[in-house]
Amino acid sequence: MCRPRAEKRRRRLINLRQESTATPAIEVSHLTVSYGPTPALLDVSVTIAKGTLVGVIGPNGSGKSTLIKSILGFLKPDFGTVRIFGQPADEAKGRVAYVPQRGSVDWDFPITVREVAMMGRYGHIPWWRDATREDRRIADEALDMVRMGDFRERQIGQLSGGQQQRVFMARAMAQGAEILLLDEPFAGVDAATERAILDVLDRTKAAGRTLVVVHHDLATAAEYFDALVLLKQRLYAYGPPEAVLEPELLSEVYEGKLRGFTELVKRGRGG
Amino acid sequence: MDTLYNLFIEPLTQPFFQKALLGGTLVAIVCGVVGCFVILRRMAFLGDALSHAMLAGVTGGYLIMQFFYGDAANAPAMLIGSLLAALITVGMIGFISRVSRVKNDTAIGIMYTGVFAAGGILASVFSHRIHVDLLHFVMGQVLAVNDTDLWVAGIVAAVVLSAVLIFYRQLQLTSFDPVMAASIGIPVLAIDYLLTTCTSLVVVSAVTMVGVILVVGLLVTPAASAYLLCDRLSRMLVVSAILGVTSVVGGLYVSLWTNIAGGAAIVAFCTVQFLAILVVAPRYGLIAGWLRRAQMVPQQLVEDVLSCVLRAGDAHPTLEEVQSRVVESRPDAVAKAVRTLTRQNFLEEENDRLQLTETGKREAQRVLRAHRLWEAYLEHVGTPETEIHAKAHQLEHVHDPAAVDYIDDKLGHPLRDPHGSEIPVDRDTVAPGKIVKVSQLREGHCATIVSVGPMAANDLLKPGTSVRLGPRQQNGNMWTVELTDGRKIALPHAAADAVTVEVQEETRNAEVGAAKSAK
Repeated sequence: MCRPRAEKRRRRLINLRQESTATPAIEVSHLTVSYGPTPALLDVSVTIAKGTLVGVIGPNGSGKSTLIKSILGFLKPDFGTVRIFGQPADEAKGRVAYVPQRGSVDWDFPITVREVAMMGRYGHIPWWRDATREDRRIADEALDMVRMGDFRERQIGQLSGGQQQRVFMARAMAQGAEILLLDEPFAGVDAATERAILDVLDRTKAAGRTLVVVHHDLATAAEYFDALVLLKQRLYAYGPPEAVLEPELLSEVYEGKLRGFTELVKRGRGG
Repeated sequence: MDTLYNLFIEPLTQPFFQKALLGGTLVAIVCGVVGCFVILRRMAFLGDALSHAMLAGVTGGYLIMQFFYGDAANAPAMLIGSLLAALITVGMIGFISRVSRVKNDTAIGIMYTGVFAAGGILASVFSHRIHVDLLHFVMGQVLAVNDTDLWVAGIVAAVVLSAVLIFYRQLQLTSFDPVMAASIGIPVLAIDYLLTTCTSLVVVSAVTMVGVILVVGLLVTPAASAYLLCDRLSRMLVVSAILGVTSVVGGLYVSLWTNIAGGAAIVAFCTVQFLAILVVAPRYGLIAGWLRRAQMVPQQLVEDVLSCVLRAGDAHPTLEEVQSRVVESRPDAVAKAVRTLTRQNFLEEENDRLQLTETGKREAQRVLRAHRLWEAYLEHVGTPETEIHAKAHQLEHVHDPAAVDYIDDKLGHPLRDPHGSEIPVDRDTVAPGKIVKVSQLREGHCATIVSVGPMAANDLLKPGTSVRLGPRQQNGNMWTVELTDGRKIALPHAAADAVTVEVQEETRNAEVGAAKSAK
């Protein structure tokens, strides 16, 4: 990466740290993660304040999911740190919940909607004990909150895409985590479902939780999120959507694969 | 009677058969339980690898005992040897797939054949010292189970079943979503090793019964059968154990009557059982699949039939009348749709005349609302009047609530379609207790104000106020809200959008004019 580019990047980097006086919810500094010889993330630093809804955008294979899994403490960084409310990521287990990408779930697994929601409680149940009535109540409430209460006994493969997404949101709620990480929740759902999921996201945010969402649709990114992280191995920009969704910057990151998008972005920012 | 006695009861009096049954049952139960996790984690090939690796372990254990203690065919040593060989194989497989780009299944293929070959080499080199028949090891000898084998099977069953019971949640979560499991602090790798150790134990105890080649069958086939029958892991474990036991019992009897090898008979029985379940399983079986496809009625036809019955109103049509009116589909398809809809409780048949149930009516009105809104839309964009109905008839199948509500809003919530028929309200959205905008309400609706936006700022409209909707004015473009004291407030579309209300129990008498023709 040549210097002028790096300089440009730094100029665009808007640090949210000044805006929040409290301990940030997530503090990623100089994070480098690699699978094999090529790094998936290179020197990424992002600070996310409590109660914000942040979108992570970038082309395929740009390390979006890797960032999520690192914040979750699932991947060990080669270099750099992730702090959750000031604690190292692996000590903050249970404070961060995760909603997997739909493609990575085995939908034929013999498990019902309610059992998935109950998994959110597993972190709270000691291994020698059974789930209590209280745990069941919390799981049921979480399902009601995403309006999946009527489907409790369904096997998860027999739901529509949006319903499946909502079940996993309920699991994250039942976990009682303060930070929710979602990997492409809007992928492959229809417009109405997208609205329904967004509604749950907004309510979760209103409850003071922090959300980090991997997103692929630039057209809606500005409308949905408080701030955007633009990734391609390195951090290209982080800040309010209007600062990140610069056609010039996007075409640099997406390397011209964006031609069709440019119009969308302009419209998205207008609307 | 005597035949039955000879076939079923008499064998039970024989000690060798009793032992075979007991040992086989114990093995089948643990195989069934562990097998569920094995197939859900796609580890079937690993089970195969473990059983083959045992050849090296058995030979090694046999030789060590003979060299150092002069004790031939020491069973515990052979078992420990096979367990060690199994664990070493698993460790090597994990190591190879971690440090190189070779994928897991290839690593399994490399290691298990390698270790199996090593066992074969040991056995050939020291063939003058080894006096057990390795064929028994390969084929198993379930009808010659001895007390040691029974003890081993019993202890393995106890250990493995308690491990699964204690760590059920951890095993379930790591099989289903390892990323989440790790994120809440479950030691995923340790649980993986626990399961692999359990699998090795199970394989070790099962090999003496059914042999190296067939042990995988006992491990995965009952579990796969249970997978076709169950929607919950806990039930799948139980069903799989039961199916394992039935295979063992069935296989042993078959083996006794026909004199075929016990292990082969058990696994063959197991396979036939699986194939039978594959055909008849209630939800995931082949027959169920065919029936489902045969009963499937296209959504478009469902909607055509329902709205045809709705439009007929009180003149409940007969099947023939519906068939003659729904011209887009063949009469037999219509008849099938009517049958399916009756079964699904959308339609009722009385004296050969069809009428809608409450659910059917709701569904039909949703389509009717879409149809009439599309007609209003088509008129708005200037479609010639002669085409409006036909086009709307195609478009009415686009009745996704979000899409329909969008058109409704853009058209200014019209009351009537171009032919003058009333456009019904969406009874799922505008229902008692639901929060809606005033613009979505019709004359006669009663509601309590929830919030008032700046567009509708008015001293009389406050949250908590009860209102009743009066008739729409100015060609339907001006909403009238009546307060309890009789005062009236006129709201244009934008203002009516800005007031949200909670719908109260319906007081509206004029229900949707469903009986009116759409034309």
